[in-house]
Amino acid sequence: MAWIRYAAAKVGRALFVIWAAYTLSFVLLFMLPVKAVDLLFDPQELMTISNATKQKVAAEYGFNKPAFVQYGDRLWAALHGNFGTSVQSGAPVWKAIGDVFPPTLVLAAAALALALAISFGIAFFAANSHHAWLVNFVEALPSATVSVPVFLIGLIAIQVFSFDLHWFPPLGDQGFGSLVLPMFTLAIPVAGPISQLLVNSFQRELAAPYVTTSLAKGGTRSWVISREVFRNASLPALTIAGITFGNILAGAVITETIFSRTGLGRLTQTAVGTKDIPVIQGIVVLTAGLYAITNLVVDFIYPILDPRLKARIAAT
Amino acid sequence: MTNNNSPTGSFSPSAARRPKRGYRRSRATRALTLAGVALVSVGVLAACDGSSSSSGSSSAVADATIPPSKVVSGASSALGYGSTPTTAAPVQGGVLHFGVLDAPEVIDPHEAGSYPESIIADNITDKLTWQDPVTGKLYPWLAASWSYNSSLTRFTFQLRHGVTFSNGQPFNAAAVKANFDQDALGDTKLQILPDPTHWTGYAGTLTPNPYEVIVEFSKPNAGFLTFSSFSGDNDPGFVANKTLQSSKTQRLIPANVIGTGPFIVKSFTYEQNVVLVRRNGYDWAPAPLAHDGAAYLNEVDIQTIPEASVRTGALESGQLQATLDVAPTDEPSLKSAGYQILYQPIGGQNIAFQLNADLFPTNDVDVRKALNLGWNRAALFGPVLSSSYRAAWSVLAPNVPGYVSFEKSALRYDPAAAEALLNSDGWKVGSGGYRYKDGKELTVKFLGINNLAPNQSAYELIQEQLKQVGINVELSVLPIPDFTAQQAVAQTKWNGIAANTSRDDPSVLWQADSPAVGNGSYVQPSSPEDQPLVSILQNVQSTLDPAQRAAATAQAQNELIAQYALVDPVYVPSQVIAANKDVHGIVFDAQSRNLFYDTWIGK
Repeated sequence: MAWIRYAAAKVGRALFVIWAAYTLSFVLLFMLPVKAVDLLFDPQELMTISNATKQKVAAEYGFNKPAFVQYGDRLWAALHGNFGTSVQSGAPVWKAIGDVFPPTLVLAAAALALALAISFGIAFFAANSHHAWLVNFVEALPSATVSVPVFLIGLIAIQVFSFDLHWFPPLGDQGFGSLVLPMFTLAIPVAGPISQLLVNSFQRELAAPYVTTSLAKGGTRSWVISREVFRNASLPALTIAGITFGNILAGAVITETIFSRTGLGRLTQTAVGTKDIPVIQGIVVLTAGLYAITNLVVDFIYPILDPRLKARIAAT
Repeated sequence: MTNNNSPTGSFSPSAARRPKRGYRRSRATRALTLAGVALVSVGVLAACDGSSSSSGSSSAVADATIPPSKVVSGASSALGYGSTPTTAAPVQGGVLHFGVLDAPEVIDPHEAGSYPESIIADNITDKLTWQDPVTGKLYPWLAASWSYNSSLTRFTFQLRHGVTFSNGQPFNAAAVKANFDQDALGDTKLQILPDPTHWTGYAGTLTPNPYEVIVEFSKPNAGFLTFSSFSGDNDPGFVANKTLQSSKTQRLIPANVIGTGPFIVKSFTYEQNVVLVRRNGYDWAPAPLAHDGAAYLNEVDIQTIPEASVRTGALESGQLQATLDVAPTDEPSLKSAGYQILYQPIGGQNIAFQLNADLFPTNDVDVRKALNLGWNRAALFGPVLSSSYRAAWSVLAPNVPGYVSFEKSALRYDPAAAEALLNSDGWKVGSGGYRYKDGKELTVKFLGINNLAPNQSAYELIQEQLKQVGINVELSVLPIPDFTAQQAVAQTKWNGIAANTSRDDPSVLWQADSPAVGNGSYVQPSSPEDQPLVSILQNVQSTLDPAQRAAATAQAQNELIAQYALVDPVYVPSQVIAANKDVHGIVFDAQSRNLFYDTWIGK
């Protein structure tokens, strides 16, 4: 019963987040000081478009209805999976997003895997090395990667590995070769916060009494780290899954632009740039949904990894 | 982040809808243009010269002995546009990989807005007429000849026989009518918007016989004749019935987008590329182009590459043979590395601040005149613009028929004259270096779009120089949607809005500046500027007599600049291509869109 209540609360929260994101995006877009119908026309020609024409077009798109009616119509349609069509291209929103989402998913998954590998590598190295200067150097890496802008990493990578060395193609998304540079470009800033957190929690855990106990019982340092410290130190990294998710999406906009890749990031940029309201709302709901699911998964994994939380839920 | 904010400085628009482009012609050819207009005005005569030669090679502009790259860009190379002349024989086949900044959102020609969208439209459709980008002269294309009534409300076109759409549908009067009706009136059920800007007063198209159309307007529309060749936004190139009956959504599928042009859309991958494939059997290119029959290239792969340095790098590493949207800062190094820099300044109405005659302090004509005299247009070259650009000595680009230069008069750099005007008008220099009158500071609020790389720096230079004469310029340079939003409230908020409108015809002035139409300067019916402007701009739109039209156009520019100072021209924008030396025959048309029909890649 306690578990059902726990799950219901978490799922309910996730649904609320998605609804709130949808509603907030509608309110914000509606409050923009521009009429939706004006954005359909070329700005230079706007003044030559008669009001009668504008009204006819607005009626066709439903822009002439009161705001709350538009909201209701759109929400009702959205609940049925219909987010309308892109104002700019005319493509159904689900298709516009569906076409560009898989490449972004591949890029994001690859970058996340690489970022985790880098982060754990840095944390293990920092925990195991006996050379203080080396440890200091490695510990400085996370802040450095957070500080270097993604576009700079991307442009340098392209210049060196594509244009100079010809190892990887500079653009497009055909085959694994074209994934390598974008993957590294995106992974480096994503790895920053994760490795920062891991380095800290490894240090904290290594100083914990249970480590001393294990070592006193004869465990080797690497045995203790991989069997005990690793699991406990990983927990905090899970809590920033949401931040990681945001980092990947934000990084994807820039990475996809630099490497001329198809993807959600560029679609977002274009949709925001042209105020393509249906597409923006579709993307907002999708990202809010992914974000909510990520956090939901974390909420369910946490009690499994942390017996204290498990006990607390069971007790309620 | 937008491309325009990238550290490498992207050159052209990042948003989907952007200002239209035109072309440019050197001052030496201005006289020729008038001659061109003279020929055009006798439509039937001009028509005869082409209809008698459906092969096209006997045209006055081009003949078979002129190698492809010398046509249009060949005429250009004589004028210093930078195309490499060649005497080699064209090579059949091959794929041209062509880089652009913007991702096309649509492939439907009638919906084209951004530059790549209209390049696609240009290559998959044909128009009734072809306008020479250098002389402005009209040549027969799908119309073999044409004529019009004296009040310019009826335009009659005799259509060429034997033209087909790529799905086999014959091209005839019914096809023209169906296209024009949908272009002008839209079809909101199919989400197709009307285009009242170019089709003002459209009253319908008659089809007295299968190869004759009569296009009627409710009021004079002199600009319609050149619009029959137009290649900018809302491209009037012809599409098949299947396309016209498709919704905007269905028109995203290449199989539904069918034209009569030398290429067919093979694939469209959003944010990635559009591949055009040669249409075999095509044989109705306009005479001024360099050859007959089908295009040389097998395919054109138009690749979207948002980042300027990556476009340049891809060109240098051989992934692209040519790229548009070359950053001005990359031009010199590419040139010295042996790449061709091909460019054509963009015509129509230049990048210019339209000054708000309904808002303090630009409601004062002396302030407006001081704004024009107070900064140096030539100073843009070097710090902001490369030699591929031109200074704006009028509101019109130099190639538009009827262009008049105000370089030595109202647009000269004369800070002393500007200060004298302001002094006598009662503006006294205050403590901070700016001028005041009745306790109010001389502050003008300028709004611009960040879609062209030089804009921000150009406007900042104006701001800096006008400060020297005591004018405080408050500047906002915004992305297109924000600009559009501000434009809606501009009458009460902004003293000047900068944008360009490309249309290779003096009617562009009527479209953008007439108080009865675009009213870019918010001239009020009660103001002294209103009546003279309405009537002189209507004159531009009401005659195709070359002498009368040139006179009206000159008078219109004089009123807009010298007399009322309603516009503050900034610069003539350019489209710039970098291509490797094996690429030949890239054509800039009258709106500076690129046609790949004559293009070939040498060994």
